[in-house]
Amino acid sequence: MAKLRRIFQGLIVGLLVWGLNTAPLAASAGQPAAPQEGTGGVQETRGIPDSYELLGENDLFQLYADPNTLGFKVLDKRSGYTWHSSLDEVTPEDRLNKTWTAFAVSGISVEYLDAKAVSKRVSITNSTTSIDFQTLDQGFSAAVEFTEYGISVTVIVQLEPNGVSVQVPFEAIVQASPEYKLGKLYVYPFFAATLEDQVPGYMFLPDGSGSLVRFAETTKAKNMFYGRYYGQDLGMIVALPYDDMTRRAYTISLPVFGMVHGEMQNAFLSIVEKGAAYGELQAHPAGITTRFNFLYSAFVYNESYFQATNRAGAGVTTLQPNTNAFDVLIHYRFLTGEQADYVGMAKSYQQYLVGRGDLAKVADPESDIGIKLEFLAGDKQKVLFWQRFIPMTTIAQVSSILEDLAVGNPEVVYYGWQPLGASSMPPSRLKIERTLGSMSQLRALIDEVKAGGGNFYLYLDPQAAIRDEQGYSPRNDLAMSITNFNLVGYHRNKVNYYLNYETLSQRYASLHDDVAAELQAGLALDQIGSMLYSDFKSNHVLNREEAIHQYQELLRGNAGGTAFYLPNDYMFAQMQAYYDMPLGNSGYIYTTEAVPFLQIVLAGYVPYYGPALNFSSNLQDDLLKHVDYGVYPSYFLTNEVTAKILETRSNWIYSSSIGQWSQEVEQTYQWLNSLLGPVKGQEITARQVLAEGVFATTYGNGKLIIVNYTNKPFSHHGVVVNGRDAVISEVLP
Amino acid sequence: MMNKILRILFVLAVLLSTTVSVSADSPYTTWALGPGGHPVMTQDAYTPVAEIDLPIEGAEDMFIAPDGSMYIADTGNAQIVKLINFHVVATYGEGILKGPTGVFVDAEGSLYIADGKSDTIVILDRDGNLVRQFGRPTEPLFGVNNEFLPRKIAVDVRQNLYIVSEGSVNGIVQMNTNGNFIGYFGANPASMSLKMILQRMFLTKAQLEKMIRNQAASPSNIDIDNQSLVYTITGGTDRYKSISKFTVSGLNIFPGTYGSTSFRDIHVSDDGLVLAVDADGLVFEYDSNGMLLFVFGSGDKSSQRLGTLSSPSAIARHNEFVYILDKDKNAIVVYQTTAFAQEVHAGVRLYMQGYYSEARPYFEEVLNFNGSYILSYQAIADAYFKAGDYDRALASYRYAEDQSGYSQAYWELRNLVLQRSLAPAILWLLGLWVAGSIFTRLEKRHKWFDPARQWLHGLSRFKLLDDLAFLFRFIKQPVDSFYYIKKSYRGSLLFAGLIYAWVVVVRLLSLYLTGFVFNPYASLSRIRPENEIVNVLLLILLWNAANYLVSTISDGEGRVRDVVIGSAYSLFPYVLFALPIALVSNVLTLNEAFLYSFSLNIIYFWMGLMLVIMVKEIHNYSFSETIRNILLTVFTMGLFLLTGYILYVLFNQMFDFLSAVLQEAGLRG
Repeated sequence: MAKLRRIFQGLIVGLLVWGLNTAPLAASAGQPAAPQEGTGGVQETRGIPDSYELLGENDLFQLYADPNTLGFKVLDKRSGYTWHSSLDEVTPEDRLNKTWTAFAVSGISVEYLDAKAVSKRVSITNSTTSIDFQTLDQGFSAAVEFTEYGISVTVIVQLEPNGVSVQVPFEAIVQASPEYKLGKLYVYPFFAATLEDQVPGYMFLPDGSGSLVRFAETTKAKNMFYGRYYGQDLGMIVALPYDDMTRRAYTISLPVFGMVHGEMQNAFLSIVEKGAAYGELQAHPAGITTRFNFLYSAFVYNESYFQATNRAGAGVTTLQPNTNAFDVLIHYRFLTGEQADYVGMAKSYQQYLVGRGDLAKVADPESDIGIKLEFLAGDKQKVLFWQRFIPMTTIAQVSSILEDLAVGNPEVVYYGWQPLGASSMPPSRLKIERTLGSMSQLRALIDEVKAGGGNFYLYLDPQAAIRDEQGYSPRNDLAMSITNFNLVGYHRNKVNYYLNYETLSQRYASLHDDVAAELQAGLALDQIGSMLYSDFKSNHVLNREEAIHQYQELLRGNAGGTAFYLPNDYMFAQMQAYYDMPLGNSGYIYTTEAVPFLQIVLAGYVPYYGPALNFSSNLQDDLLKHVDYGVYPSYFLTNEVTAKILETRSNWIYSSSIGQWSQEVEQTYQWLNSLLGPVKGQEITARQVLAEGVFATTYGNGKLIIVNYTNKPFSHHGVVVNGRDAVISEVLP
Repeated sequence: MMNKILRILFVLAVLLSTTVSVSADSPYTTWALGPGGHPVMTQDAYTPVAEIDLPIEGAEDMFIAPDGSMYIADTGNAQIVKLINFHVVATYGEGILKGPTGVFVDAEGSLYIADGKSDTIVILDRDGNLVRQFGRPTEPLFGVNNEFLPRKIAVDVRQNLYIVSEGSVNGIVQMNTNGNFIGYFGANPASMSLKMILQRMFLTKAQLEKMIRNQAASPSNIDIDNQSLVYTITGGTDRYKSISKFTVSGLNIFPGTYGSTSFRDIHVSDDGLVLAVDADGLVFEYDSNGMLLFVFGSGDKSSQRLGTLSSPSAIARHNEFVYILDKDKNAIVVYQTTAFAQEVHAGVRLYMQGYYSEARPYFEEVLNFNGSYILSYQAIADAYFKAGDYDRALASYRYAEDQSGYSQAYWELRNLVLQRSLAPAILWLLGLWVAGSIFTRLEKRHKWFDPARQWLHGLSRFKLLDDLAFLFRFIKQPVDSFYYIKKSYRGSLLFAGLIYAWVVVVRLLSLYLTGFVFNPYASLSRIRPENEIVNVLLLILLWNAANYLVSTISDGEGRVRDVVIGSAYSLFPYVLFALPIALVSNVLTLNEAFLYSFSLNIIYFWMGLMLVIMVKEIHNYSFSETIRNILLTVFTMGLFLLTGYILYVLFNQMFDFLSAVLQEAGLRG
């Protein structure tokens, strides 16, 4: 019973502490910058040590660097806040062992691989190195040689108008010893690291729509968050593990991360401009391995892989024959005051993309929001020995459905238009399944859609070579993994291999030209926006970084507009619409909240549409999320009853008939349009938490959308929001 | 301690903020029963809301009282913890318990605890005072050698204790609150497979001893519903038999439904919804009749995503939330019922109580969500059937692939037709018969058809037509007919080939044309015609080859030609009658199943008989020689198959070896 009493005592004290803490807790949960005079904000306690020299200065920043560790410090002259690239000294309380200490105080660390493919991590301070340090205009360049292993790396750090850039050129990488290869390169891993919850703030991870991990004393995580930018490389791993009971976590589509030191006080955003295809985001919340919160990019130059030599699975682990060739360029952008939160990071990233010409405002009707309607044209079913095409929505039916539906600016995607439908290979010259209608009918439909303010796209998955289908040569047309297998993927209930770039580009270019010339329609591209693989087939080896440039080159001249499903950032320049916009994150238990980072980046530039609402299990919740994040609705439709495709590969579409959904489609559209219509084409400028489960988003034209996820009505400056409802109003004082 | 509580409070704050807006995608997909018992993906039925860390250690059981308070068997800390809103409000049994593994709380608040470490049952009152503690029953009826290893416990309204004793082959141990043994309850039947029978035949006694004894698997967890029906789960058995639902008399009334081989816990809610969780983190939900509603969930393969489980030990439902205790995470994972699942549940509750027509609107709504949700068709069909709308019931049963329901609805419809048109039909038939017999008589007198007969007779000049006519001779004079074949008087290889081809065609057609009620394929698209063709052809080929080979070494007189032609003609019953039977099956219901199966059996028997006669006549054997020959033929066919398989394996190995050598050579330069 004594224990019981202790628990009670603890409980009471705990409640008290909790009660005291709730106010600041709520504030840090996203309340606007109510300047906290008492606490004084995050102050700089560490000075700049003598070993650091001032190497650059511009209007906003001063750059200092230490030639021995290559650590640098940036003083933000606006706030007086200093950013540290690494720890200056490690105290016993920090509880870091020797390796970790070296990792924390060195600017860069490398992981080398020996001939047996065993890897080990070494840093500047725990290895014999020779550093050739040279000052540059606004920065420095340092050639670091890890003499024991014959590995040299050159790091260039320079001040920029918005912050600092770090470069690692590939041509300056030397691997002199035949015994050791450069495995991974860690670039400023302890940049802006914080100890437990000493500094209020959070890490930002680009998972799904965006995730925050608030600094805390400990974490629920058992291992770190390690994620390759743009997902795993199928060229190295052949296939992703397949389990149809699980839903895959999102791959990282934006090579960015950030940290906030004191909300509305100081923040930075890191953008990987070059090398992201071989980059990996590694985030360590305090409590696993160390007491520090830190996150950084690591870059993969050589990997070991398992080469099976027989079908039973025996084999050898070897190193890849050629080092991945790519340059590294990272920008750290510093934010202060009002901008120092994830919204500010998103805006900063948006400016970066706009500045590079990768993001441009898509011309779109001003008034009503769009709605993506994806129509399944049909699929094939095996009857006795023949394939029979089952038409689900003919061209004429699409036209009459659109006529009947009371929606504006429809974004029409036609899926399975090719001969024999969705699960056969699309042709390389434009040819539609005969049963669906004629080419002139299709042209007429496209004109109708355009006249109604909408867009028309043919669905295309240009990378996929569907398994067991005719239409490609398995010997010549497929990409190969490093182990000499065809790459295997699973998409839309089909198993597919991936085409090599040569075949892909030829097929795509010829089909695209036909579609542009004959239909003046666009293409809705699946997979290619998010799937990035290297190809090891001997006559056309292609690495991931090259593949990005090739894809960009291929799609640059697109006429008629291109929409992408879940694209990575390198496709943004070609993107007229974003499909399957995540409404949340992957739900890692150590992340504290999901935020609409991706949406804020795109808002005002490119319209984005959510996943098809047919498959939603809580429609109202999902609609609220649409309003909250400014996401336009999307539906998957067929004219015929869904039961007809039960025995085809399209049976993953388990509910689609227009008879069942037309009412829902109209209601959804009208409700969302009444809320999101007035802010169409506007940027998101701020986002606040008004109360638990009540969020307010401010748009560029001064409108404010308040979403109430709770069941209780909420009132804010005289504006009442009913439970599980949303309102739009003028911006409040 | 302080830290822990702070952490709980922090987690609670997080929980409160997350219950209102779920922002993460669930890490698992959700499946429901689709056509043909195949799983189909569907909308999420439950979405994960929170994972709440608790100050517990390796907890094995959880009980949620109707007021929402949770009791957790905190096995590692040897106590029972009571939580309200995830706050620890009380602990029980300190100093008494050694390692509680099962806990049950009755309406008065008394705690019934199975302590797996001291192997006793502990009963505490609502304030935690020890009421009684007892171990192994002393009654001889319990069994002299039986151990008492209590792990889980459930108590019915009459205060009977149902105790899961580890390894108990006799089933659940039933006791009263005084510790007296009442009896065993609901044992699983011991299973006996062909492999086991063979082992018994061939292994020595010593070898048998070494193998696991053939015993009934013992149940591993238990729950009891408000009608005192006991639900148990059994691990390590057939996944279709892993859940049992026992009446008071110990009769299992749970049908064999798709489940898991590694179930950990089961929970039955007051409205009859059954939840079970398995070791891989999969959650199965059933209605009380054993119909699978949903399967969802995913193991935590170090993905650390909300909603994954690493070692679930208990599951319970309270209101719209499902709670799963994870003994590895020392946490409870909370799931919330989605709008979609609520719709399904509303329909299922009414349906289970027999309110078919009231349930129909809910299920129609469910079909809007998911057109493949077979349970909906079933429920809607039942509603139509009850309302007497047999036409629609028929269509819905067809979708639901419910052959017996379809048969019933069809019977009703057929009955209507029969009632309306039986009398006129009989009159018509009678009239036709009279007209026919008059015509036949007249024809006999006037011989109107003679020119036609002569023309027909003349056709026998064509060899194939003659062969066809010969087929019908077998009905009346099989022995003579085989003799004709042997003497090369009649029959031809070409026509034999045609018969075989026709057999293949008949096999395929009868699969496609057999009525829905009797068709082994509830959906015709699941027929694999190429497999059927290969199987039939392979059988024919093997028979002919084996029979000829066997006969040549055992003084058979038949030539290859004779065997091939004779076998072909032996198949005539199938050739002639299988198709008509398939067609007739379309107007039969399960009530007349005997007619259908009997006529099919006659065909097969007849064919067998023809083959026997064929072998006897063609090879000129005595009866005993014939039987021996046929047995040898069958044996040879088996040997052919075995040889084929061995060759396949060998070539496979060789291919593997060569490709490995080539790969290795390429790799090492």
